[in-house]
Amino acid sequence: MSCPKTQHLLQEYFSDDLTPLSKKEIENHIYSCEQCSNELEFFLLAKNKMQGWKDQRVPHWDRGTELFKREHHQERTETKFWNRWLWVPTAVSLVMFCALLFNLSVVFSEQEFSISFGAKSFDRQLQSQLIEFQQQQRAEMDVLVLQVEDRVNSGNVQLMRTVMEQAQEAAVENLDRIYAYFEQQRLRDLEGMRVGYQELVNSDYETIRSLQQLAQFHSYQGSTVR
Amino acid sequence: MSLVNEDEALIAAALNGSAYAWEKLVKRYETQIFNYSVRLTGNSSDAMDLMQEVFLGVYRNLHRFRGDAKFSSWIFRIAHNKAVDMNRRRRLLSNQLRINDDEFDILDILPGDTGNEPDEKLGTQQQNGKITRMLARLSLEQRLVVEFKVFQSLTFDEIAVMQDISANTVKTRFYTALKKLKAVSEENNVLS
Repeated sequence: MSCPKTQHLLQEYFSDDLTPLSKKEIENHIYSCEQCSNELEFFLLAKNKMQGWKDQRVPHWDRGTELFKREHHQERTETKFWNRWLWVPTAVSLVMFCALLFNLSVVFSEQEFSISFGAKSFDRQLQSQLIEFQQQQRAEMDVLVLQVEDRVNSGNVQLMRTVMEQAQEAAVENLDRIYAYFEQQRLRDLEGMRVGYQELVNSDYETIRSLQQLAQFHSYQGSTVR
Repeated sequence: MSLVNEDEALIAAALNGSAYAWEKLVKRYETQIFNYSVRLTGNSSDAMDLMQEVFLGVYRNLHRFRGDAKFSSWIFRIAHNKAVDMNRRRRLLSNQLRINDDEFDILDILPGDTGNEPDEKLGTQQQNGKITRMLARLSLEQRLVVEFKVFQSLTFDEIAVMQDISANTVKTRFYTALKKLKAVSEENNVLS
């Protein structure tokens, strides 16, 4: 027997805004109606079974971060860092391997930069480099000797000039000293002459006084005799 | 910090260009969206496609999220639209799910059925497989209503707003979906 209320009542039964009174009325009908009861039983069973779903783990994916970073002009630092730097040791290893394999020799000089392969070429290159180095050293030595000679000559001239200047200065100084000495001697002689003259004058004066005394004595003697 | 506030903080940071915030935001919802997608599409491969489309839609429209509703509601609205678009475009979801076993019975989905399996993961897969096979018998519209009512615990009114239909239509679709499941189950029992 078909119940005309089944659809409406079961729709409302799962409604969230159902009042307790309405729910009670619906439940009263459902328990008294076999069809509604059977349908509700199945619906609840199906709902319960569906709610037994167990969440599955999400397979690995990039979560759109690459797109996000690309559109925001960001570098993926970790990956980019390794991408950027992983090739460096690889390239260095490859270069070193090639250098060892082909016996690579790299020569730097002021004039040139050369790369050669193999030991013989390296020896030839080395010998030519040595010869060139010797010639260069020789030329540098010659230049150095010339410079030293020039320096010595100029030093000698300078020394002679200095000696002469010093000799001239010494001669002038000596002449000054001689002049001063002679002047001093002249003054000393003049002083001696003056002292001698004074002494002479003094002695003459004494002599005159003696003569005067003698004359006075003679005069005294003469008066006495008379 | 509550989940809602944390969502808003992550959204703000992602809008400012933080890839870390974006990744964290995706991580918070990817399990929900992936399982939603598996239930709708019936297989992991299509579910991954749908999930990626959903998050691409989220990314493209993140600046439009105003915070009026919960982020989870907003993201499931996008998920709903993407599922409809995908169904329209690929015709994969409308009764054409890639499911190996056409036979199903709701009464098979019992705990005792999976209890004999030694591997719990295998048991989970079997349990989920039976549910997806059951849902495969429904149209996309019915499946979406069941999804949001049973699995996302939304009200009929919320579903109505999301699907832009009346609440009565949602109720009818839900009832019709359950009725169809019952019919198929009874049919299988009769056939067996």
